[in-house]
Order: sequence, then structure tokens, then C-alpha cells
Amino acid sequence: MTDHALMSWLPQLAPAAPAWLATLQAAARAQVQTQIAAPDAEAWRYTSLNHLLEQGFVPIDETITALQPDDLDEVLIPGLASRRVVFVNGRYAPELSATEALPPGVHLDSLRDVLAHDPDAVRVLLTAEPATVPLFMALNLAGLDDGLVLRLDRAAILAQPLELIHLSIGLDQPSVAQPHHLIVLGDGAQATLVERYVSLGAAVYCTNAVIEIQLGRDAVLTHERLQTESQNAFHLSGLSLRQDANSRYQSVNLGLGSRWSRTELLTQFCAAHAECDLRGLYLAGDDQRIDYHLDVNHAVPNCTSRETFKGIIYGKGRAVFDGRVVVAKDAQKSDAAMSNQNLLLSPQAEIDTKPQLEINADDVRCSHGTTVGQIEPEKLFYLRSRGISAALARRMLCLGFADEIIHTLHSETLREHLSEQVGQRLESAPWD
Amino acid sequence: MLVVNGLRATVGEKEILQGLNLTVNPGEIHAIMGPNGSGKSTLAHVLSGRDGYTVTGGSATFAGQDLLALEPEQRAHLGLFLAFQYPVELPGVNNTYFLKAALNSIRKARGETELDAVSFLRLIKEKLKILHLDESLLKRAVNAGFSGGEKKRNEIFQMALLEPKLAILDETDSGLDIDALRVVADGVNALRSPERSMIVVTHYQRLLDYIQPDFVHVLAKGQIIRSGGKELALELETTGYGWIDAEGLAA
Ligand SMILES: Nc1ncnc2c1ncn2[C@@H]1O[C@H](COP(=O)(O)OP(=O)(O)O)[C@@H](O)[C@H]1O
Ligand SMILES: [Mg+2]
Repeated sequence: MTDHALMSWLPQLAPAAPAWLATLQAAARAQVQTQIAAPDAEAWRYTSLNHLLEQGFVPIDETITALQPDDLDEVLIPGLASRRVVFVNGRYAPELSATEALPPGVHLDSLRDVLAHDPDAVRVLLTAEPATVPLFMALNLAGLDDGLVLRLDRAAILAQPLELIHLSIGLDQPSVAQPHHLIVLGDGAQATLVERYVSLGAAVYCTNAVIEIQLGRDAVLTHERLQTESQNAFHLSGLSLRQDANSRYQSVNLGLGSRWSRTELLTQFCAAHAECDLRGLYLAGDDQRIDYHLDVNHAVPNCTSRETFKGIIYGKGRAVFDGRVVVAKDAQKSDAAMSNQNLLLSPQAEIDTKPQLEINADDVRCSHGTTVGQIEPEKLFYLRSRGISAALARRMLCLGFADEIIHTLHSETLREHLSEQVGQRLESAPWD
Repeated sequence: MLVVNGLRATVGEKEILQGLNLTVNPGEIHAIMGPNGSGKSTLAHVLSGRDGYTVTGGSATFAGQDLLALEPEQRAHLGLFLAFQYPVELPGVNNTYFLKAALNSIRKARGETELDAVSFLRLIKEKLKILHLDESLLKRAVNAGFSGGEKKRNEIFQMALLEPKLAILDETDSGLDIDALRVVADGVNALRSPERSMIVVTHYQRLLDYIQPDFVHVLAKGQIIRSGGKELALELETTGYGWIDAEGLAA
């Protein structure tokens, strides 16, 4: 199976890689091969890989240097964040980044740098198990190259949000970039991270990003992920989260862009009284397809998780919500609530929603709920009776539906920006 | 201003309006009373263009136009307003944004300039005062989590803002305590003008103590079966609607 299209995503192994890394990457490669030979049928039940594979993506070992800071202007959100880390086609771009005057105890490096100068430091940060991760996380690990390494010491506080921008530019050949980020918050540390995926131009390319997060005791991370790539982009992203006691992780996942996208969120509670709040909003229209796969593991007692995802699907858009919460045998007093609500705006729009609870403990509070509906005619009539056109009324109702997620973003600037983006997208939506 | 002639409308197989006649001239206030299920809300909905009703006969003209041929928003642009019997909750839709969208849509349709943010806010605060509503209303979602009384007041507040030519108030008084009723009635009275007409649908004579109607109509079984002045409302208060079947006035 070595001639499988996905194998060509992998660069040559760096000859200078430390032995442990070579071993890890070999294990990741083996996992890729296993997965290709016998794909996990459940994980790929609703999605065919063909469209992705047909594109013939290849990794490009090339650092883009032609960009000037003002090339960024069109993708920046004015007033959002003063500090940012920019990756261009998966490579750290220090000249576009702004990371001055970090507070004490906050360390920010590129993975390449750390691998070159202190590879053993990376070794302890990489927690993803190559032999068990899903296919695209394994691919990313096997091609480990660059990424952000953000470390907060015990009690360090990054009060201003840090923006992590993935900027993609099309090259002559359809290229794939596989950044791998490592975020580690020590005990009691706090940070806000705004992770963005944006395109310059409308070329066909693929991003396969992985972000590994470890939260120490009492650590708090607010994590907002905004995928607004061009309609020609292919997007894969995997999150692997591990939480120590009393830590709190709250995230908002917004999927508005790209032609084909798949997001996998794997979370693991490692000690009691941790909380994990995953929220999401996706908009799939035209010929877009967008998938979310959640795997929330209550491995220990007394943890709380919330999974709240909403989708708006129009035209020939297709979305998948595949959410799984697993409560281990000993994880008593687990509290989990998963919900997935969808608005279908056209008869051809399609959603496959599959929330699952796998409960092996007996003293738990777990629930899930799913809805798939259309815009309610009485709401539409109420707005129209006030003189508002049908088109604007529909948009207002969709935005109202989306607001439950959007209003949880940490900044007013971001909330307004995203409402506007959703509104603009819906302006082009066909209504029947 | 409004001429309804022999209007017939069905929901599914059922004929609800069975040849209804009603003429409203500028400045007039018409009260429509009648038993539950007689078709009062259906009339209000058909006139304002709600889906789900089939007009099978008759006509309705408003401001010289064939009302029934227009989209709901076009009717609003012409100056028609419906205060809903059951105002709809719109979670996530901000009130200020909603009010601004409504007002500016109507202004635009009439060829007027849209109001800028400052003038809009000034206007809206003035109207809030009339209805004794708190400014915090502007930050909330439209009707979401409002009490029954708040919803009704919010309807009249919207009417005050949009300044319609003809307002249909569908049981705006039901569910209001006497204080709230007074506030709503004051709000309505403040809007009375020689150019503005109202159709006030109500169950109770009580409201008409505060809003003096020029005409009172009894709607039963899909028709206006009696019309009169204010004294008809008083009479209904004592007789109730039992006589309708007894007299066999409706088909
Ligand atoms: N959407 C509907 N579907 C079925 N029947 C309806 C609908 N709307 C109204 N009706 C029926 O039409 C009749 C008149 O209702 P309505 O106009 O609401 O009465 P009123 O407002 O006078 O109480 C009632 O018998 C009611 O059950
Ligand atoms: Mg009624």
C-alpha cells in the first residue's frame, strides 16, 4: 500500500532526527498504513476520502519569504489581538508575527527551533500516541515539521489573547501543510488563544493541522478556533486535549470556510473536577462539506463536559456531526451534556448527526439531544409583518440561531466580525 | 382606507371567514368582538398576509391597493401593522437590531432616508417612555423570555415606533393586569390621529373603557353579524354571546 496517495503527503525523514523521534514517526507511519489498509468504518461512515485524494497534494519544503507584513492586512481582524504568531503554509513566519514583551513565564517558540536546539524538550510535550491516533493525526505526526510551542509556567498569565494564524497561499502544485502545535499550561496558568485558518487567494491546497494541549491543575484555557478558508481549501484539523484536576477548557469552533473539512476533537480528563466546554458553529453551503468528530473521554470521576454544536446548511451543503462521549467504569459523578442543532435551509442540504453516549459508570448525569429543522414560518412572518424583507428576515433568524454560539466568543470585536461573516455568507445562500 | 368585501378564507378544508364585510375610514377605531374561535385572529392574519390561509372569495383593498396580492412586508410598507395575539419569541435576535431593520425597511420602501444610529436611538428612547418600558429591553432578544404583559407592551411599542396607518390589535388586552392595561391603552391613545385607524380585537368591554371605539362589531361564524356604536359593547357585556346561536344569525 506504499503507493497510496496519502503516503505522498509525507516528507523524507530528516536524517538528523533524534532516535526517539525517528521511532515515533515510524510508528505514526505504521499507523497510517494500518488505517489506509483497514479504515475505521465508523469514523469514515459518512465521508469519502476520494475527493481529497484526487487532488494529489504533496508537501512542499519551501519557506515563503515574499510576504510583507501589510499582506496580512486583509486577513487581520482590526482590534482583535496585539500578539500573533503566523504560520505560512505550515511554517513559522517570524517576520509576520508579533510576539514582543511576553509576560513572565510565557515561552513561545517554533517547533523547528526547539527540535533543532532542544529536541528532548519536545519529547515530553508530545503526548499523542502514534499507534492509536486517527488517520490524519498519524499522518501529521509522521510528517512532523513545524508548529508553535507555547509553554506557560506555573501560574503564568497571558491576559491578552494570542492569535495563532494559519495563512495559506497556493503554490504551483496543490500542496499540503501539516503544522503541529504544542500548548502546555502549567498549574494555575491562564491564556486565551484565538486560532485562525485563512487563505490568501483561492488556490487549491490542504491543511492538516494538529494541536496538542495539556492543562495543568487549575489551568484555564479559552480557545477560539475560526476556520474561514477559501472555498477551494481542504481543511483537516485535530485537537488532542489532556486536562489535569480542576482545569477548565472552553472552546468555540467556527467552521465557515473551505470546500472539504474535517475537525476531530479528542479530549481526555486525567484527574477529577476538570471542565471541558466544546462549542461549535458550522455553515455548509453550495458544494461544501464539513465534518465534526468529537471524542470526549471521561476517564476519571467528577468531571464535567459540555458539547454544544449548531449547524446551518444550505444549497447542496453537507455536514456531519459525530459526537461521542465515553464514561469509563470508574468515572462516577461524570456530568456530560451534548447537543447538536441544525437548520436546513434547502431541500438538498444534508446533515448526518450521530451523538453517542457510551456510559460504563452508574452514577452519572449524561444527556444528548439533536434537532434538525427549518426556519419556523411563524418567526418569519413576524419579521415580515414588520416590513422586513423575506431575505433579510431569514438571515436575521439564522444569525439568531447562530448567536447562541457566537455570543460566547471572548471579545465584542470577534463577535461582530463573525456575525458579519455569517451574515455575508448567508446573503449568497439560495433559499429553496 | 380599508375595505373588506365578502371575504372568504379557509384553513385546510375548513371555511373560517364566510363572507366578511368591513369598512374602516381614516381616523376611525373599530372594535371587533366575538366568541372564541369565531375567526377574529384569522381575519387579522389574512389581512396581514400570513401563510396557511386560502382566500376563496371576496376582496380587501387598503390605501387603494389590492391588499391580498401583496407580500406581508409590502403590506407593512403601506402602513399596516398587526399587534399579535401571541407575539413570537425570537431568541438570539437583538431587539435594537430588529427595530432598526424594521423601521429602515419601511422608510426605504417609502423612499425615505434610513435613520442614522443617533437619531434612531433618540427616537426609540422617546417611544420607550410612552410605554413605560425600560431601556434594558433594547439589549434583549425579541420577546425571548418576556412575560405575557411585556410581550403585549412590546407590540404597542413597535407600533409607536413604526407609526402605521392602520393597526390591528389582536387581543392586546388579554392577560394584562389593570395597570398594564392602562399603560397599553395610553400608548394606543397617544397614537390616535385623524389619519390613523385601528381595529381593536377584544373579548372584553374593559379595554373599550380606555380606548373609545367609534364602531363595535360582533364577529361570529366568520361574519360580522352585528354592528353598532359603543353601547353594543356594553350590551354584549351583559348578554354574552349565547344569543348568537339562539337567534340563528350565522349560517
Ligand atoms: N392554523 C389553523 N389550523 C387549523 N384551524 C385553525 C387554524 N387557525 C385557526 N383555526 C380555526 O379557525 C377558527 C377561528 O380561529 P381564530 O381566528 O383563531 O379565532 P378567534 O381569534 O376568533 O378566537 C377556530 O375554529 C380555529 O380552530
Ligand atoms: Mg384570536
